[in-house]
Amino acid sequence: MIHAVLIFNTSGVPRLTKFYSPLQQSSQVLVKKIFSLISTRPASLCNFLDAPELEECLGRKDKPDEKLRVVYRSYATLHFVFVVDSAESELGILDLIQVFVESLDRAFENVCELDLVFHFDEVHHILGEIIQGGLVLETNVDEIDSQVQVAAQARKTSFASANPLSLGVGSGGVGQRGGGLQTPLGWLTGKLAGVGAR
Amino acid sequence: MANSMRGLTQFIADIRGARVRELEEKRINKEMANIRKRFKDGNLDGYQKKKYVAKIVFTYILGYKVDIGHMEAVNLISSNKYSEKQIGYLAVTLLMHENSDFLRLVVNSIRKDLDDNNEINNCLALHAIANVGGSEMAEALVEDVHRLLISPTSQTFVKKKAALTLLRLYRKHPDVFPAEEWALRIVAIMDDPDLGVVICVTSLIMAVAQDHLEPYAVCYQKAVDRLHRLVIEHEYSATYAYYKVPSPWLQVKLLRLLQYYPPSDDPTIRSVLHNVLQTVMNNCAEPSRNVQHNNAQHAILFEAISLAIHLDTSSPLVSTAAVLLARFISSKETNVRYLGLDTMAHLAARADSLEPIKKHQGTIILSLRDRDISVRRRALDLLYSMCDIDNSELIVGELLRYLKVADYGLREEMVLKIAILTEKYANSYKWYVDTILELISAAGDHVGDEVWYRVVQIVTNTEDLQLYAAKVVFEYLKGPSTHESLVKVGGYILGEYGHLVANEPGYSPLDQFQLLHAKSQFCGAPTRALLLSTYIKWVNVFPEIKPQLLNVFERYRHVLDSELQQRACEFYALASRPDDDELLQNVCEEMPPFPPRQSALLGRLNKKQGDTEDKRTWVIGGKEANVDHEATKRPTLKMEKLANGSTGGSTGAGANEHINSLVGLDLTLTSSPTQMKAPLLAPHLSLAPPVAVGPNVERWFDKLTYHGEGVLYEDVQIQIGVKSRYHGHIGQLAIYVGNKVSAPLTSFTTTVQVGDPEALSVTFAKMPPTTISSRTQTQLLLHVECKKFFATSPTMTVSFLAGSHQALTIRLPIIITKFFEGVKLGQSEFFERWKLIGGPPRESQAIFPITLNAAGHVDLQKQEQVVSGQGFAILQGVDPNPHNIVAAGVLHTAVDGKVGCLMRLEPNKEAKLSRITVRSTSEDVAGEVQKLVQKPLKAAES
Repeated sequence: MIHAVLIFNTSGVPRLTKFYSPLQQSSQVLVKKIFSLISTRPASLCNFLDAPELEECLGRKDKPDEKLRVVYRSYATLHFVFVVDSAESELGILDLIQVFVESLDRAFENVCELDLVFHFDEVHHILGEIIQGGLVLETNVDEIDSQVQVAAQARKTSFASANPLSLGVGSGGVGQRGGGLQTPLGWLTGKLAGVGAR
Repeated sequence: MANSMRGLTQFIADIRGARVRELEEKRINKEMANIRKRFKDGNLDGYQKKKYVAKIVFTYILGYKVDIGHMEAVNLISSNKYSEKQIGYLAVTLLMHENSDFLRLVVNSIRKDLDDNNEINNCLALHAIANVGGSEMAEALVEDVHRLLISPTSQTFVKKKAALTLLRLYRKHPDVFPAEEWALRIVAIMDDPDLGVVICVTSLIMAVAQDHLEPYAVCYQKAVDRLHRLVIEHEYSATYAYYKVPSPWLQVKLLRLLQYYPPSDDPTIRSVLHNVLQTVMNNCAEPSRNVQHNNAQHAILFEAISLAIHLDTSSPLVSTAAVLLARFISSKETNVRYLGLDTMAHLAARADSLEPIKKHQGTIILSLRDRDISVRRRALDLLYSMCDIDNSELIVGELLRYLKVADYGLREEMVLKIAILTEKYANSYKWYVDTILELISAAGDHVGDEVWYRVVQIVTNTEDLQLYAAKVVFEYLKGPSTHESLVKVGGYILGEYGHLVANEPGYSPLDQFQLLHAKSQFCGAPTRALLLSTYIKWVNVFPEIKPQLLNVFERYRHVLDSELQQRACEFYALASRPDDDELLQNVCEEMPPFPPRQSALLGRLNKKQGDTEDKRTWVIGGKEANVDHEATKRPTLKMEKLANGSTGGSTGAGANEHINSLVGLDLTLTSSPTQMKAPLLAPHLSLAPPVAVGPNVERWFDKLTYHGEGVLYEDVQIQIGVKSRYHGHIGQLAIYVGNKVSAPLTSFTTTVQVGDPEALSVTFAKMPPTTISSRTQTQLLLHVECKKFFATSPTMTVSFLAGSHQALTIRLPIIITKFFEGVKLGQSEFFERWKLIGGPPRESQAIFPITLNAAGHVDLQKQEQVVSGQGFAILQGVDPNPHNIVAAGVLHTAVDGKVGCLMRLEPNKEAKLSRITVRSTSEDVAGEVQKLVQKPLKAAES
């Protein structure tokens, strides 16, 4: 199963942390450890990493034999990191990261790091449509997107019914940005789907 | 939404604006204090609660500890506004863990949302359970979740979530999950048209089936069928193609699922599966330019290779796979190299012959020097797995060389692996001692105590080795810097066997003493204590250096360490006794061989695997690590022979035991062999629904015992008819299943259970279809072969979804007389044989009531029909009474050959009774045939 999903940027600031098994230590320690493992690896190395170091943070005490592996992929300024056990196919997880990024891109129309910051709840909901309780729920980007839309619609309706005078301001749809400076990732994800992506 | 809450957006912007961490913390503390105050004041409306909880969640995501807001999150869940509910659930899933006390408070709200008519609320509730559900929730909610999964009105997205939620509950609390009872219903969902649902249900089945292989055995057939449809028929919705590959996740899952089961015996399933695997391997022949496409293809390929290895290591598929793997391990792409090595380790762990892998030994050894530590680790695992008696010197040598430059993280593991391989595959003791000493001197810090204990044990138990070991260890000790472990080995071995070399130049007692004593100042107290013991032994055998030794004891009598001091005092007293005293000699008697010990490995292997996690389908290590643990008890070591040849038998056995326990030290080996080794499961009729009964069912069956075709079963939904043809011991059954309702029957599943597979084999000619559309008929073809006598008819279980899940089991009209062929005999021939067979036990006789036809006569026509329908030839003119029927037949079986059988039927009109007598060379056949012929003729009991 998938034990953790993390997104952090190139300076090691976590943008999303989601743990599917109980943590033995503080999440900051874990993020730091993973960041130090990954940030030093040049791009030509493989996307998988055995991580005996993590076992004391994430591993289960009753199952010391379990081998954890880190599968990660980097997009522009963000590292997407999955911690999985031996029941998952490594390449499958790599594909899943791609699906996750494509789904984020779909929901935020050219996703960038800022979206993940300001719409952290939305990011969690999208992740919830892909992975549930550490297992793959859905891998079809269209399907994921339509579920996210349904939820957004429901939120919008409930907001509108509570604030009849709001005239749709802050209607809670997906993909509205607070404005300001942006560092778009989106143009990259397009390319990343093609040749040479990691 | 975040930006519908201005306070939250401001908060996030402030934190982003904080230039240093202190400022960020300050801002957060201020905010938390404010929120705490607001919560304390109370009287907040939904919006405010939502806003504050969202801020708390954001703070949590940044990695800060938060201890407030739990109660408010619980309140938000029961809100009837979706936006508030959603934030509430988010907070619950992030802030709480499964043992949190607050979760008790949400169980009822969650149940309400599960029962809600609004699917979006169902989803929120399911998602929450899947993330934080513990055993308490499992008890309370498992029924509701299961209902959502199987309800025909559930939307696909609800079903998916319900399946995974159920999995979570199963893992947390397997006892509340009636795995066997739900088995067929859950497996039926694998036929769902929506691939997303199939993925989720497959995950669920994979976990449950590992613990309940047998009840879920139908999933094997389903998985093969689905793979066939995806890979060969290309039958899937276009949206589930991921870069032109049909749902790679599902394929990988199915291929993995099949590895949990022992290979199927069914030839149809095998050949379909073979085609699938073949196609998968062919698909990868042409690499594509697109990275994602390649990734997905390879993900499937690697799993397919694993499955092929699991099915049969000597199949041509595996040879193809070996060629592919060889290409992968020298691929330019790091990911592919990594997985190639990993899968090759799997092959090495299972294959009977390591030859195909050994061809690439050079490449693999080179991979030890790959730039990427991940690849290096895999190469190490592979080398460990592929090592055997022939290449052990090379591989161990290579590993030793690499050890000196290896990453620190890897060294400890490497040392253990080298130690194990050295013991397992040592050709000679000399090589063993050389290698282990080399190992200790190269990576002293990473060598566990167990390793040097073992050297000592083996040297002690092997007389031939002692002299050599003493010399070698002496040479090693001469080195400029020696590790403490080496000093310990040296101290022990020289103490025990130093006298064996003492007469050779350069090895004099004084040399030995000076060498060893020079090292002692760099060692810790335990090592020094060991050296003191060495010295006292020397006092016994080397009287010439006694003054020096006494001097040492004298000095150690004043050290502060109590252990050392005590030893020194005792040894000093012992050594100071007069020379002719026998006490010293007795105390310093040479060590006896070590007694055999229970291997540590066995203890670990026998440890029961009681939890519900996914198990690995193989373990790293040679083939023998993977054969079941029975085998690990058997001595697997070549050393045993050597030991037996060179020294006494007891020593050999001892050494062998020690070796086994070193293998058990600690390492990946400890993961237990897979549970698949459990004996192959004979189909259990008890699991299938009870056999359908009813007057009609009986009547249809009876009629089919003497007719080749007819109705077997019918109710309001389906009709099942049979046509059959037999020749000798081979038969063919065409079963027609008709759907009588106006909706299609989906997830149509048929399985056949045979009482004794040794006697009768019944197989499907091809995989049965999974759907029967409305008002149509489908045909299933069965091949039947009679190998031996059998008495119970096979049963067929048919299950399908028509609104709800239904299953029924029907007896198939396959009986022993179907394999009869009539024989024409004359009167004299008949009676000659009749007498030859003789009376009981080879005769079976019964008298039973019969009904007369409308005219009040014996229904001769029916009698003849039954007798000839059951494969007998009716013989005319044998019996003087024309009403009696005399018949003969031969039973054909594949294994037991032919069995002759004679029969006589004597109906009596007046008494309305009939007497049947059957004689056969086999008692079983006589009894069974008598029953079978009698049954359709017997009058119904009034």
